[in-house]
Amino acid sequence: MSNSYYEFFCPVKVIAGKAALEHIPYELSGLAAKRPMIVTDKGVRAAGLLDPVIAACEESGLEIISIYDDVPPDSSTTVVRDIAAVYRKEKCDSIIAIGGGSAIDTGKAVNILVSEGGDDIAKYTGAGVLKRPLKPFLVVPTTAGTGSEVTSIAVITDEKKGVKLPFTSSYLLPNAAVIDPRMTLTLPPHITAATAMDAMTHAIESFTCMAKNPLSDAYAAAAIKKVSRSLLQVMDNPKDSDGRLELAQASTMAGIAFSNSMVGLVHSLGHATGAICHLPHGLCMSLYLPYVLEYNLETIREPLSELLLYLEGPEVYAATPSSRRAEASISALRKLRDALYKRCKLPRTLKETGKVTEDQLDQIAEMALDDGSIMFNPKEVNLKDARAVLQRAWA
Amino acid sequence: MLAKRIQPMASQAKRLYVELMFQVMGRALQAVSEVDSEVQGEARTLPERFLFEMMVMPDGSKLIVEHIGDGRFHYHGNSAPRPVDVSIKFKHLTHAFLVLSFQEKTSVAFANDRMLVDGDVSYAVRMTRVLNRLEAFILPKIIAERAVKEYPANLHLPEKLISAAQIYLKVATHFVQTVRA
Ligand SMILES: [Fe+2]
Repeated sequence: MSNSYYEFFCPVKVIAGKAALEHIPYELSGLAAKRPMIVTDKGVRAAGLLDPVIAACEESGLEIISIYDDVPPDSSTTVVRDIAAVYRKEKCDSIIAIGGGSAIDTGKAVNILVSEGGDDIAKYTGAGVLKRPLKPFLVVPTTAGTGSEVTSIAVITDEKKGVKLPFTSSYLLPNAAVIDPRMTLTLPPHITAATAMDAMTHAIESFTCMAKNPLSDAYAAAAIKKVSRSLLQVMDNPKDSDGRLELAQASTMAGIAFSNSMVGLVHSLGHATGAICHLPHGLCMSLYLPYVLEYNLETIREPLSELLLYLEGPEVYAATPSSRRAEASISALRKLRDALYKRCKLPRTLKETGKVTEDQLDQIAEMALDDGSIMFNPKEVNLKDARAVLQRAWA
Repeated sequence: MLAKRIQPMASQAKRLYVELMFQVMGRALQAVSEVDSEVQGEARTLPERFLFEMMVMPDGSKLIVEHIGDGRFHYHGNSAPRPVDVSIKFKHLTHAFLVLSFQEKTSVAFANDRMLVDGDVSYAVRMTRVLNRLEAFILPKIIAERAVKEYPANLHLPEKLISAAQIYLKVATHFVQTVRA
């Protein structure tokens, strides 16, 4: 599938590697920020992940003015309003979001309010509403998967109306993403596995869906290679900080790839399953990935064949006849899922999750059809198709 | 300004073509929603009084339809009775022309950043499926295959309706030939 036209955009400065956190004070001073506020969640604080950040800032004479550590797993409009109020009261001038998808999305939304004014974040929902840069904003991811540090989207739940509000603007992108292996060193195995498979899925969907382009392909391929090489290594040796850094970088690279070329049916099904059965996003990605690739197979044979090189390395790639490479790529992913199941029981089928009943499949299929990412799936999907994929993923 | 003087005819023709196609699609959308159960099924989950717009940025041609309930659409021409709920905006006349003259699939146009969605994306996804179905109806199969990802296997429509829509289409394709020549 050649793309006759494409756009690619990623203005986020990436600061990655050993002692990356110690660059935060310098970056903030470069943005003329002196009074940063940290937005994070209880889990991050309990894991002691704030300490190295605070220490790094204090050593440079930069005082953290305020810490909000109560971001819930699903960021909400009330929380955003509360944090904005604290920010204003403490006269902060910049935000450091530390955490996974939710803390980062909350940070983005708070930044809208404190930059544009007002208490009602719902006013800024939609695309293209923001017209100018926001306050200085840094992101420190503590999971290696979502890629939120390089996406221009935030999703915030309006609990009163029970709806998810999407915000899209390139101004939501942080000024810098700080990737330090210390931040993911203590992730428990099942979260390491699920989030890494989310990154893997971002890269694979980006590489095989309709909006693929040469620049996002380069990021996607490199991310797939890193996850394939390092994930099991890290699972077996969680304190492997080089491996951790590889996964964290892969996550950011996959994020850059998919924010420029979008994702497809794995995400449509995953979003629906997450909403209906309350399963973690990364788990759903790992679960659906091979079944969706099988569904798309004939439309994506060429790019999927190419991915075998990054999934299995040059020897296997060269030894596999070109007509079998696409299938071999899917087998490689199945093998990886089996290995993860062995190590941390990451479910491979809906039945293995123990949280989905077979009579929910119709509802999941229907909801998946309304998900925006289905537009970029290379093969058309109707209700029957979606239901068939779900049936295959059942057991 | 300079470009205007150099290519006045070509862009004028594109504009007319896009306007005409919007009219064809608007009328066909209303007609198809009266007979096709699949379109009705997609439309039924839209709220009543839901207004959908397709337009060319910044302020060009428009197509506006309303879901009047029970899966039926009403074509409003180019002016909306109130603010629209979902708008699909082509970034430039040329992009609208590419899509509406079936040189670029709707889904590819989305993938290529040719257009933006303003409003609830899930409704836009639904409307895109309705439009795909519509294109399959009113276009000869050979052209429809270029316009949609997959040509539906189950098209059953009264012959009369198809031919009526195809008459509009003839005018339209005639236009394409003139413009491209
Ligand atoms: Fe994801």
